[in-house]
Amino acid sequence: MLNFQRIRGVLFYLSVFLFFAGLPLIISFALGYKFNAHTLKFSKTGLIFVKTQPDGAKIYLNGKLIPQRSPASMQELVPGVYKISIELAQHYPWKGEVDVEAGKVSRLDKVILFPLRPNLQQLNQERFSSFHIDTEKKLIYYLDRENKVVYRSDLEANNFEDVASLPEKFTQIAGWQVCEDKRKLFVFNPHQISVVFFDNQGDYGYPDYPVFLDYPQEKIASVFWHSDSYHLIVLTDKHVQVIESRPRALPVNLVELNKEGAAAFYDRQENALYFSDSQRSPDGSFYNNLYKLNLSTSSLLLERLMAQPFKGVKSIRKERPGE
Amino acid sequence: MNKRVFLRRALEIIPGGLSWGVIISLILLSIVHPVASAIIIITFDFYWIIRTVYLTTLLIMAHHRLFQLRREDWLQRCLGLPKDKGFLRLYQLIIFPVYNEGLEVLRPSLSALSRSHYPEERIIVVMAFEERNIHAHDNALILEKEFAGRFGAYLSTFHPDGLSGEARTKGANATWSAKAARKFIDSRKIAYEDVIVSCFDADTCVEPQYLGCLSYHFLTSDKKHQASYQPMPVYNNNIWQAPSFARLVEISSSFCQLIESMRLEKFVTFSSHSMSFKTLVEVDYWPTNMISDDSVIYWKGYLHYNGDYRVVPLYITVSMDVAYSSNIWRTIVVQYKQKRRWAWGVENFPFVVDGFIKNKDIPLANKLRRSFHLLESHVTWAVWAFILVVIGYLPILFGGAFFSQMAIAYNLPKITGLLFRFTLLTSLTWIFLSWTILPPKPKGVSVFKNVLLVLEWVFVPFIILIVGSFPAIDAQSRLMFAKYMEFNPTLKGDKVL
Repeated sequence: MLNFQRIRGVLFYLSVFLFFAGLPLIISFALGYKFNAHTLKFSKTGLIFVKTQPDGAKIYLNGKLIPQRSPASMQELVPGVYKISIELAQHYPWKGEVDVEAGKVSRLDKVILFPLRPNLQQLNQERFSSFHIDTEKKLIYYLDRENKVVYRSDLEANNFEDVASLPEKFTQIAGWQVCEDKRKLFVFNPHQISVVFFDNQGDYGYPDYPVFLDYPQEKIASVFWHSDSYHLIVLTDKHVQVIESRPRALPVNLVELNKEGAAAFYDRQENALYFSDSQRSPDGSFYNNLYKLNLSTSSLLLERLMAQPFKGVKSIRKERPGE
Repeated sequence: MNKRVFLRRALEIIPGGLSWGVIISLILLSIVHPVASAIIIITFDFYWIIRTVYLTTLLIMAHHRLFQLRREDWLQRCLGLPKDKGFLRLYQLIIFPVYNEGLEVLRPSLSALSRSHYPEERIIVVMAFEERNIHAHDNALILEKEFAGRFGAYLSTFHPDGLSGEARTKGANATWSAKAARKFIDSRKIAYEDVIVSCFDADTCVEPQYLGCLSYHFLTSDKKHQASYQPMPVYNNNIWQAPSFARLVEISSSFCQLIESMRLEKFVTFSSHSMSFKTLVEVDYWPTNMISDDSVIYWKGYLHYNGDYRVVPLYITVSMDVAYSSNIWRTIVVQYKQKRRWAWGVENFPFVVDGFIKNKDIPLANKLRRSFHLLESHVTWAVWAFILVVIGYLPILFGGAFFSQMAIAYNLPKITGLLFRFTLLTSLTWIFLSWTILPPKPKGVSVFKNVLLVLEWVFVPFIILIVGSFPAIDAQSRLMFAKYMEFNPTLKGDKVL
């Protein structure tokens, strides 16, 4: 037992020695100090931390390859500017300069190394003019102006099927949009909107012929499906209107526009239309205003809108000409 | 409040106050000065690693000693002692204080004792029942019939409830029974110095060589009456049936005791222990109003002999039950309560310091050293796991953008992680040693359990918080606010101990 106690005594003092000898080294390392064996002095250093996406890249510090691959840290760096280059096979290299400060860590933790050959996939080889992606249903709609047909596929360009045929005489298509209910779409040109129902929609009581909405006196700038999937919101050169998507429907003018070519955005979630228009002030100068028009599906609101066209229009920011 | 009471209360507040002070200071420091906090945490981590390696080395040495002596025939060694050592005069008085444990707990303990390689005519057994236990008399009668003939003398005592100056503690019962045994010893005209008394938990199963080992160490020790004799507690009785969590905690407890056995200057009696009956009488028996009677009896001896009192480690095991319950959550609660009861040993601090103030013969250096050890061990018990598991992350959490740019913010988790990976080596040692102290696997227990015994060590970080810091903080806070604990037996499987 005595021997054990002697060994224990030696171990105890060895542990005490290790603690007091090791602690200054660990603390100084943690704080970023570097011990110079030649001068027997501590100098404060900084460090660079590199993390890449993907990882495993070679890192060159001032042109010299460091042993670790990313993610990696380069410690005990004397404060100053360092050139870093990061290389990974089959990826574009990253190059840059990093400022290292004493006792601080310079983080390069958002480096993305882009592949030399991007992950590009050809989905199909078809003749179409424009497309529309439905992320919710994971479908791609294609508009083929030449053949006047709309067809769709899944997001991997499989399972193609024709969904609608456009009217033969409908030309100069300026825009189109598939309705949220996925049963119809509209196409429009400057003076006419055509609502086309998808094939095989008979069960839902939809007609199998297109609906035409004519605008002989006005020029259509943009059209949106209202969130009720029945009304259309139409911006012409003169008005903001709503119109039902049925034959012989008459538009309701909600706002009279001062300026042609208004920009517009319809927020389906908020049921609000944002559009720009100009306004002349009493002193004769023009303002470019952004408006927000609330478009509730409530019939009461629509009636109110019809009775008081400007109610519900709210200017978001007034801007002086030239600003 | 008179001066004495004020001093006592101040001493009761110190351990909890210090522990809370350390925890709150480190949390606040993490917020107001994360760099300073990080330095303290790294310092503590490094200290803990060095300490763990050091203590693991002690564990290996103690374990080696245990295995070196496991095949020793202690009775033969006693018989080989010179006659003047007095082995042939030596009696063993074994007291089993019984709270409300049933026959299924008491029978195995008595059976194990009856298998002792020791002259049975010199074994005196006292089954110390509580009068308030309605089954006490029936159980006493049954056990007397079964075991009375296997020992030199067999007594059943019944400790009355609600005696003046007593709390409902194991020590009160043990003291009552020791006084009854004294009358018996007097009646047989046996000298007190020829009697070794062992106070065993009710579930304690001794090895056949235990009494021989105890006798040998007692007879060959210098100042044999100025020492307590401490066997190594293991929790093997039901270890194969106990859930991983409980098993792991109890194995760790056994290891802690093995480690303590190598630090003789700090070694204090724990759980089942033995001592001279003469000394027990002189120090006026176990305390009757304190829960931690097992350690207080050592301090009573230390104060009585003016600091010239020690604990002699016995490298032989006594086996007890693992504390567990029917499901994991209940087991956690059971373990928590048991560890809180152990941590209530913090009540020793006011007792000891108060004793030191009254005693003018113990050298001041000894008083300071022992007080510091006692205080440091309890404060460390309460805060270490909290610092390692929780506070270590606070500087990064509260440090904000400025701190995150500092080199130390980057290095803190890196250094901590590196240091802890280093301790994996010590963990592997603990895993290996834990295997070696296990009893043979009973029939019907799956081989998979062996694999589980290794895998369960991954739970250590969670366990150290649950049964490490929290029970100790709880116990110290109760003492701090004078919410004194009462003795509650521990549930062990379907038994209550």
